[in-house]
Amino acid sequence: MTEEVIEADVLCVGGGIAGLMAAIRAGESGATVVVVEKGNARYSGCGRSGNDHFEAYIPEVHGPDIDGFIEELLKTAKGEILLGRNIFQTQFARAFGIVKLWDEWGIPMKYQGGWEFAGHSFPGRTMTHIKYEGRFQKEVLIKQAKDRGVVILDRVMVVDLLRQGDRVIGALGVHTREEKILLFKAKAVILATGKCSRLYPSLTPGWMFNDPHGGVQSGDGRAMAYRAGVELQNVEMPQRHIGPKYFVKFGQASWIGVVKDPQGEPAGDFVQKPDRRHGDMILEVNKLIAEEYHAAGKGPLYMDCTDISEEDYEYMMHWMEHEGNISLLDHMREEGIDIRRHPIEFSTYPLRAGGLIVANEKAETNLEGLYSAGDESYGDISAAATFGWIAGENAALASQETKSCDIEVERAKIDEMGNSIEQLRMRSQGPDWMETNIALQQVMSDYAGMVRNEALLEQGLNHLKRIREKARGELIARNTHELWRCLEVINLLEIGELLFLMALDRKETRGLHRRPDFPETDPMLDKAHVVHLIDGTPRIEWRSYQGGE
Amino acid sequence: MPPVIDPDLCSRCGQCVDICSEDVFFGSDEGEVPTVTYPLECIHFSGCVYECPDEAITLRIPLPMLLVYRPTSTGQ
Ligand SMILES: Cc1cc2nc3c(=O)[nH]c(=O)nc-3n(C[C@H](O)[C@H](O)[C@H](O)COP(=O)(O)OP(=O)(O)OC[C@H]3O[C@@H](n4cnc5c(N)ncnc54)[C@H](O)[C@@H]3O)c2cc1C
Ligand code: SF4
Repeated sequence: MTEEVIEADVLCVGGGIAGLMAAIRAGESGATVVVVEKGNARYSGCGRSGNDHFEAYIPEVHGPDIDGFIEELLKTAKGEILLGRNIFQTQFARAFGIVKLWDEWGIPMKYQGGWEFAGHSFPGRTMTHIKYEGRFQKEVLIKQAKDRGVVILDRVMVVDLLRQGDRVIGALGVHTREEKILLFKAKAVILATGKCSRLYPSLTPGWMFNDPHGGVQSGDGRAMAYRAGVELQNVEMPQRHIGPKYFVKFGQASWIGVVKDPQGEPAGDFVQKPDRRHGDMILEVNKLIAEEYHAAGKGPLYMDCTDISEEDYEYMMHWMEHEGNISLLDHMREEGIDIRRHPIEFSTYPLRAGGLIVANEKAETNLEGLYSAGDESYGDISAAATFGWIAGENAALASQETKSCDIEVERAKIDEMGNSIEQLRMRSQGPDWMETNIALQQVMSDYAGMVRNEALLEQGLNHLKRIREKARGELIARNTHELWRCLEVINLLEIGELLFLMALDRKETRGLHRRPDFPETDPMLDKAHVVHLIDGTPRIEWRSYQGGE
Repeated sequence: MPPVIDPDLCSRCGQCVDICSEDVFFGSDEGEVPTVTYPLECIHFSGCVYECPDEAITLRIPLPMLLVYRPTSTGQ
C-alpha cells in the first residue's frame, strides 16, 4: 500500500447533500476544502436520484409563529426524532434561506411559479413541506462546490479520524480501486456520511442491497466518531418505513391514493378519495399498519390509486420521478402495472438502525474541530442541507484560528491500519464481508428486533461478540473492492455491539424499542441516551437533549 | 444480473463504471464492454441506465424484488 497526504483547511467526509452544502459554504468563506466521497458524488447518497419534499417555514406563508410551525411538524413522523427544540428552531430559521439559494442555483423549488405544498401534512392543518424537483440536485450542488474551488475526491473511503489530544487533526482513508492509503491533514473535519444501512436484513432475504438508502451508507461516520471519543445517541432506537412491497422505495408521501384493505375499506380516516394535497396520512401515523393488517389476517394492504383523476395521475408521476423513483416507474411500465387500474401492495419495511452523532445547533460535536451534519446526526433533505451549511460555515471560521497539526503524531494508528489492511488482503481462507454481514444481520434481527428482553439481548450480544472476534482474525478481502466492503462490515459490527449494550441499558418500552420485561414508557427517561468511549470502554449515560428540552 | 449491457449498443465509454457508487462494475477494463462484477450489490436506482449515452443498459429486476400488485381494484 502506498501513502498519499492531502491537506485542506476543511475536510468534508461524504459527498451527499450535507457534505456538499458544507463544502460550498466553507469554500465561499475562503477555506480550502476537500470532499472525500466513497462512491461518485454525482450518484451517491440518499439524494442521488432525487427527492421531492423539502420542509420549510416560510414566514410569508406560515405567519410569524415559527414555534407553532414546529409544533405542527412534531405531530408527524418527525416527532419520533429525539432532539432538543433549539435544533429545530435553528433549522427552520434558516431552511427557507437554503430553499431560495437552491432555486437560484437551478434546483427548481417552485411549481408553476409558486411554493407548492403537498404531503406529510394532515388535512385542514398547516402544510409543512414544499415540493421541489430534486432529480438533478447533486449535479447542481457539485457545480456550485467546484465553482468555489472545492476539490472532490471520489472513490475514497474514510476509515478513521486522526486526533491530537481532544482535537481532530485529520482523517485516514483507503482508495476503493487502488492499493492506496490516503492521509488527510485538516484544521476542521465535517462528518456527513449519512445513514447506517445493512445492519438489519432487507425485506428480501438474500438481496441485502434492496435498500433505497444504498449499500454505501454503512454507518462509517458514527463508527469512526465513536472510536475517536465522540458521543453517539439513541443507537438502540430503530426506525421503520412503509412502501411498495418487494421493490423497496421511499417516498410514501408522493403517492396519491387511499390505503385500503382487500374489501376496499380505507385503513385510516384521513382521506376517502385520492387527494394530491395530503396523500394518505395513515402511513405517516402508523408505519406498522401493513404488518399489523397482515398479522391480524386482514391483509394485504394496498395503496389504491384507482380513483385518481388524470390530472392528479400526471402530477404524481411528475413527482415520483423527482423522488428517486424512476426505476420503480420503469419497472411498472415494463410489467404492465398501472396505478390507475392496479392497487399496489404496501409493506412495512424491516427495522433499520437509528441513532446519531451528538451535535449541537452549530453542528459541533464534543471533539474540537469535528462537526457532524445530515442523516449522520439529524436528517432529511432540509436538515441535511441546512446543517451542512451551518457546519461548513463554522468549520471554515474555526479553521482560520487553527494551526494545522502534524499528523505524524498518529503514526502508530496509521501503521496499525496499514497492517490490518495487509492482513485482510493476504489471507486466502476465511469469511468474506458478505458472509459476515449476513451473520450480523441475522443476530440483529433475531436478538435486537421487534421484541427485546434482557435474556435475548444478552444472548445476542454474546453471539455478536463471537462473530466479531472471528471477523477480526479471519476476514478476507480478495481485492480492493472487497477490502472497503470489509471495512464497512467492521464498522457495522461495532455499531451492532453498541446497539445491544444500549438496548440492554434502556429499561423501558419506547417507540420501536419494545421490552416486554419493561413494558411501560418511563417518563424519567425522556432524555438523550448517550454512549462514548472512555479508556477503551463504552460508557453509557442519560443526558438532557442537546440544546435543551 | 441487474444491469444488462447490450454489447452491440455499448460504445465502451466507461461512463457507468465511473458513476456507480456501489462499484458494481469494479474491475472493468478500459475500452472494453464493462463487466457486471457485483450484481448483488446493485441498488436498482437506474443511475447507469440514464447516464449511458448509448442507451445500452437496462435493469433486470431480480425476481425477489418484483412489485406486488392486485390485478383488479380492491373491493371487487
Ligand atoms: C429514495 C429516497 C427518497 C427520499 N425523499 C426525501 C424527500 O423527499 N424529502 C426529504 O426531506 N428527505 C428524503 N429522503 C431522505 C434524504 O434523502 C436524506 O435525509 C438526505 O439525503 C441525507 O443527506 P446526507 O448528506 O446526510 O446523506 P447522504 O446524502 O446519504 O450522503 C452521505 C454520503 O456519504 C458518503 N459516504 C458514506 N460513508 C463514507 C465514507 N466512509 N467515506 C467517504 N464517503 C462516505 C456516501 O457515499 C454518501 O454520498 C429520501 C431518501 C431516499 C433514499
Ligand atoms: S442501477 Fe445504480 S447501483 Fe445498480 S449498477 Fe446502475 S449505477 Fe450501479
